[in-house]
Amino acid sequence: MTFCRALRHRGISIGPKEAADALRALVAVDLSDRRESYLALRSVLTSRRDDLFIFDHVFAEYWNPPQEQQALPQMPQPLPQTGEAQAATPTLLRWLDEALEADGEQMPAYSPLETLTQKDFSAFSADELDEVARLVVRIARRVATRVSRRMRQARRGRVDLRRTLRGSLRRGGEIIDIAFRRRKIAKTKVVLLADVSGSMDLYSRFLIQFIFALQHTLGHVETLVFSTSLTRVTDALSEADLHRALDEVSRHVPDWSGGTKIGHSLRTFLKEHGDLLTPRSVVIVISDGWDTGDMDILEHAIAEIRRRAGRVIWLNPLLGSPGYEPICQGMRVALPYVDVFASVHNLESLRQLEKFLAVKK
Amino acid sequence: MHPEITRIQSMLDSQGYVADRELATSVYLAIELRKPLLIEGGAGVGKTEVAKVMAKALDTDLIRLQCYEGLDATTSLYEWNYQRQLLHIRLQEHSDLPLEAREREIFSEPFLLKRPLLQAITHHRAPVLLIDEVDRVDDEWEAFLLEVLSDWQITIPEIGTIRAKHVPYVVLTSNRTRELGDALRRRCLYLWIDYPVFEKELTIVRRRVPGVDGQLADQIAAFMQFVRRAKLDKVPGIAETLDWSAALMALHRDHLDREAIEQTLGVLFKHRDDAELMRSQWLDHLLRGLEQIDREPRPWNQQTIERVADNILPRR
Repeated sequence: MTFCRALRHRGISIGPKEAADALRALVAVDLSDRRESYLALRSVLTSRRDDLFIFDHVFAEYWNPPQEQQALPQMPQPLPQTGEAQAATPTLLRWLDEALEADGEQMPAYSPLETLTQKDFSAFSADELDEVARLVVRIARRVATRVSRRMRQARRGRVDLRRTLRGSLRRGGEIIDIAFRRRKIAKTKVVLLADVSGSMDLYSRFLIQFIFALQHTLGHVETLVFSTSLTRVTDALSEADLHRALDEVSRHVPDWSGGTKIGHSLRTFLKEHGDLLTPRSVVIVISDGWDTGDMDILEHAIAEIRRRAGRVIWLNPLLGSPGYEPICQGMRVALPYVDVFASVHNLESLRQLEKFLAVKK
Repeated sequence: MHPEITRIQSMLDSQGYVADRELATSVYLAIELRKPLLIEGGAGVGKTEVAKVMAKALDTDLIRLQCYEGLDATTSLYEWNYQRQLLHIRLQEHSDLPLEAREREIFSEPFLLKRPLLQAITHHRAPVLLIDEVDRVDDEWEAFLLEVLSDWQITIPEIGTIRAKHVPYVVLTSNRTRELGDALRRRCLYLWIDYPVFEKELTIVRRRVPGVDGQLADQIAAFMQFVRRAKLDKVPGIAETLDWSAALMALHRDHLDREAIEQTLGVLFKHRDDAELMRSQWLDHLLRGLEQIDREPRPWNQQTIERVADNILPRR
């Protein structure tokens, strides 16, 4: 019981049912065999790869506290293997239910901090960052679910044989009316091109977090990051845990926070990942437009992307600063080819992102 | 160890599946607790194989549902046999039966096409239901599956509710192309299958590739450990190891060298980019690794392999 609670504290989701199954599993295996009990509990109480590490850690801590290395102290009362155990289970379950419910109430409920949402990312103090990071994830989730709901409403008919046949029966088997069935269309694919060069360093931390959450909820997101060159990080970001994902990303990206060659990067994108662009895909470029490369290349690349994709959104964190005008060369070149030019300097602006994510042309 | 787990392990073993204790324990619990078993791991580590072997070991049928994007209830659960219904309507054209009776007739069980889920539920004995690559389906179907897994009953409007006669043993596999929902995960036992260590892979090669030369088997298993450290798009799994071994055997190779490897790269790497990367960037390093390991006294083990690999390649 307390073991389950310890696991839950580390973020593994365990409900009463899992805890009950853990008990049933312990009854089913040889309890005197420690490794076996361990494997059984692990099999029941974990549900994703990242849980495994946490589980191992908690298990070691719990059943082998550093001081009393050898003893196997708080193992649950060795449950007899026979009918007695089965009889005992319902009582245990009831107790479990109550215990877990009581525990559930203590779970901290999260309340969004409104003041944070208006603040520029660059203005946060270190201790606010964690809070903000969590908020970013929540917003991304919400954006993602709204987006997919909207996509579900975009529909197209298909012949419904079942209803057609039903109708025909009434006319002696002659098919006169063809009934249609509505079916979901292929989902919109979101392609994110995020600038992680030096000038964007401040914002990239949040953006990556945002992208990560978006990818996790939406599923159909391809993520590429660029500064002087381009790297696809979709797989790296698909690690279920953000911190490991970030490690993974930084390992894959050679020039994190270097200079920027937007045009060059976009051209690489077209060449190597051009198949991601379809009339159904939404391309989101996140960059401040400070390009140190060749403007012609940039113009060609963005024009090409515009032609092949359903929608091009350019998010610029600088747009949030009062008095900013897109005068830097790169931005000026790219602007004519962009459907939506918006800001991502604070949390509120991330929230706004939702309304841009539908393809309509 | 619980005698039943030992039995399952040796049963898997006799089916040619090299199972470690973790796997045997999970399979045992899946059978004992009748909970679905969710297996994750890289491509080609033998996830699907578990279900097949489990069915053999339990001496029951395997019903497989291959998932894909866009899978829906009609392809996974049931569909009416329209051709047959139409034919029947024609034949009954002049019958005196009232409309309702005729309608009831064509929407009855003989006109029902059972798809895997319904098959599993109505099977005469508890089958193993393999839901392969469940990460490919969309959220709606996942929710639908969750419902089936919890109630073991299916409602067909025209017929009524069909309840499972025997609750199937369920194995789900996922390649993690999409994160599965929490609810589904929590309903399942969880097993992560990692790429095998050197010793395990060697055993598998020896067992599954009959007549393989001992030296070649060693080299293949070692080479695979090296390959998995290279930065590639798709890391080759055991399935690839076995295909590759077979290809090398077919070419009558008794040891690995540049020529043998280059000739068979296509078997090992299913992506052109990976094969290209291998040829241009990694092969030299890996061949150096093979040279070094060949100087080590046999039998090799994971430590030997890792020591050599650390020399030639940075850790992944």
